Amino acid sequence: MSALRLTVNGGEHVLDVPVGTSLAQILRDELGLTGTKIACNEGHCGACTVQIDGVPQLSCITLAHAVEGEVTTIEGLREHPLVEAFVRADAVQCGYCTPGQVVSAAALVAANPQPTREEIRHAMAGNICRCGTYPKIEEAILSWQG
Amino acid sequence: MELLRPSSLEELDGGLLLHGGTEVVPLLREGLLETERLVDVRGVVPRGVDGAVIGAGTTLAELEVEPAIPDALREACRLAASPQLRSMGSLGGNLLQATRCWYWRLGYDCRLHGGDRCHARDGEHREHAIFANEFCASAHPSDVAAALVALGARVRTNQRELAVEELYRLPDEGNRSTTTLESGELLLEIELPPAGASVYLKAMDRKRWAFPQVGVAVARHEDGSPRIALAGVAPIPWRIEGVDDLDAATPLPRTEWKVPLARALVRRALAALA
Repeated sequence: MSALRLTVNGGEHVLDVPVGTSLAQILRDELGLTGTKIACNEGHCGACTVQIDGVPQLSCITLAHAVEGEVTTIEGLREHPLVEAFVRADAVQCGYCTPGQVVSAAALVAANPQPTREEIRHAMAGNICRCGTYPKIEEAILSWQG
Repeated sequence: MELLRPSSLEELDGGLLLHGGTEVVPLLREGLLETERLVDVRGVVPRGVDGAVIGAGTTLAELEVEPAIPDALREACRLAASPQLRSMGSLGGNLLQATRCWYWRLGYDCRLHGGDRCHARDGEHREHAIFANEFCASAHPSDVAAALVALGARVRTNQRELAVEELYRLPDEGNRSTTTLESGELLLEIELPPAGASVYLKAMDRKRWAFPQVGVAVARHEDGSPRIALAGVAPIPWRIEGVDDLDAATPLPRTEWKVPLARALVRRALAALA
């Protein structure tokens, strides 16, 4: 076991967990933040995406003890207008990839509030949706400001 | 397992080195790497671009928007992996990534794992090599490595300085490694020589976030001659002198399609620089 200090959605946490534990495991199993999903668990699919200091990263292949910076999960973006935009655009089918999609999209619009379709496709390429809701995700991001 | 975070090179003393973790963490989880001591080297590897010198700790995401680097390198970074992986993964780590050969990744007792056969040669190999594939048919997945080899870049480690090209070796019976890296050796900086125009073209099985089926980097050097390096066609980044060298490819039955693909991309890249 090894001490771990994490800032998640503005809150400080001190834990004692084995080195090798992923950030996704900590978020879900230790902190109860189950909005972050684990699907492939090897860094391919983007379901586990969280922001670290505002940059989308893959929590399933991030070692919790190596995190430098503040973590923002989907729970920390509950009030973000993108959530409503995803609902308006019906950009959800099974919904499993959606938290990761919103986390990536929130970082995109923070840096670039009016992205083009091409910019959306480049920035969102690491979030895979096997239901194929991509056109609606694009629509949600294009219209996120209402 | 312990995690060390040295703040100077002098503190390095064995263990498994980790930077962005995008390769090391999955390989640890799969049991393809084992260690009791992980060493987070982010505190000791330079990061950022200073003239012609790029810190090996610079992320691909930083490089894909860096106007001061050659087009081939910027494009190779932009087309690599996914946005999240580009934000996590470092230039040095990208150069040292392992093969995507599914037999190797699944832990088959293949030649790279010290075994006595290449399972891909007789089995599923549509993504595999068309050159130097007799001993091991894996295909090198690094877009960035091909770009740096074409650009004639050099790398400085904590032990020596060498051409990026010399970082790689074909595995053989006596040594199964695809790199010349020594134990405890750490990539620190990449230095780019003066070069003219350059380009990187990449064929993927989907439009984004895929490893190269074939990647072609071409850089025009000071004397005007183009230097060509390919990704995805051999167990290591592969140099060719011109499109005719593809006639010497030795594809496996289900990698024959890569030969005309490579030929077309090389022609297109050369035309782009003409």
